Amino acid sequence: MDKELEHNFVALLEKHQNIVHKVCRLYTDGYDAHNDLFQEITIQLWKAYPKFRGDAKFSTWMYRVGLNTAITLYRKTKRKIHTQDFSEVEFKIKAEDYDDTEEQQLSILYKAVHQLNDIEKALVFLYLEDKNYREISQTMGISEVNARVKMNRVKTKLKTILNP
Amino acid sequence: MDELELLKKDWQKNNKEFPKLSYNEIYKMILEKSSSIVKWIFIISILEFVLWTGMSFMFKDADFNQRFKDYNADNIMIPIMIISYGILIYFFIRFFLNYRRISVTDSAKVLMENILKTRRTVRQYVAFNLISMVITAFVVLSIQLNRDKQVVSIIEKASANGELFKFYAVTILVTLAALAVMIGVFLAFYYLIYGILLKRLNSNYRELKKLEV
Repeated sequence: MDKELEHNFVALLEKHQNIVHKVCRLYTDGYDAHNDLFQEITIQLWKAYPKFRGDAKFSTWMYRVGLNTAITLYRKTKRKIHTQDFSEVEFKIKAEDYDDTEEQQLSILYKAVHQLNDIEKALVFLYLEDKNYREISQTMGISEVNARVKMNRVKTKLKTILNP
Repeated sequence: MDELELLKKDWQKNNKEFPKLSYNEIYKMILEKSSSIVKWIFIISILEFVLWTGMSFMFKDADFNQRFKDYNADNIMIPIMIISYGILIYFFIRFFLNYRRISVTDSAKVLMENILKTRRTVRQYVAFNLISMVITAFVVLSIQLNRDKQVVSIIEKASANGELFKFYAVTILVTLAALAVMIGVFLAFYYLIYGILLKRLNSNYRELKKLEV
């Protein structure tokens, strides 16, 4: 493929790489898994890039490809390096004295989000990225009403995880 | 305060925490090969086409064909062959068109549907093969029992010795065992594909479908 296309793509991705990092953070735990997913998303973005039309924003387009790769295409195979057993982490948190500082609450929240299923994570991710329900519904391929309903259920689910 | 709002505030200011990959690091990544499930599905699907087409060729090996000429069964076998090639081409084209439709820029649900559609086509092809093999096996068996001189003489001998039942029992058991082996191969493939490759996709797809009820 031609050099100019390559250059444009790499430069754009370098600029917007945080979107990919955020997807990786949500769907993986540990450094190696993060890098592995980052790599696969990058490959998928690159493969789809020739068909990318300027009428969509590059970042919006990245959300779609990134989430689709994380939810559907990605296979955890390349490297299996275990950094920390997740269930152990959860157990420790519940056992700890519940401290109401914001910091503590945030750390518990992040862990609670990690416990959601793939689809719920995608909804939370788009929500955290300040996407409106129209965009969320288009990215996921569900109706706007259903996106709202599901989002409310996820909120309730998070509350129950936080206050068992 | 709503928990998610708290998280959102933190999430959006968190930008600096991530590793920052350089231009060169990203450039190296685009030269790597994908290891996505779509690639695996493609490879496995092609393998299935080859395997099942190959199996139907095995049925037509030289010795077998030679003896078949004596049965005068060409009027049955040639149309069956033509039809089965036609069906192979039909399924393969459908598979390929479905495969080409898979696009990572579709919505999550459409992407999953398109992937599942390619699998469905291959599954139908394999099911068609299995069914036609079972039918062919029994048609061939009945032709042999009626027209093969060797077989007919064995039957005559067996019935003279009062072993006709034993002869039929053995023949049917051998046929069933051969079919069982084929079905075993089929199930192994499906364990591999649905159990390992598509488990996550299927459960995510179910989750999305559930939202629409």
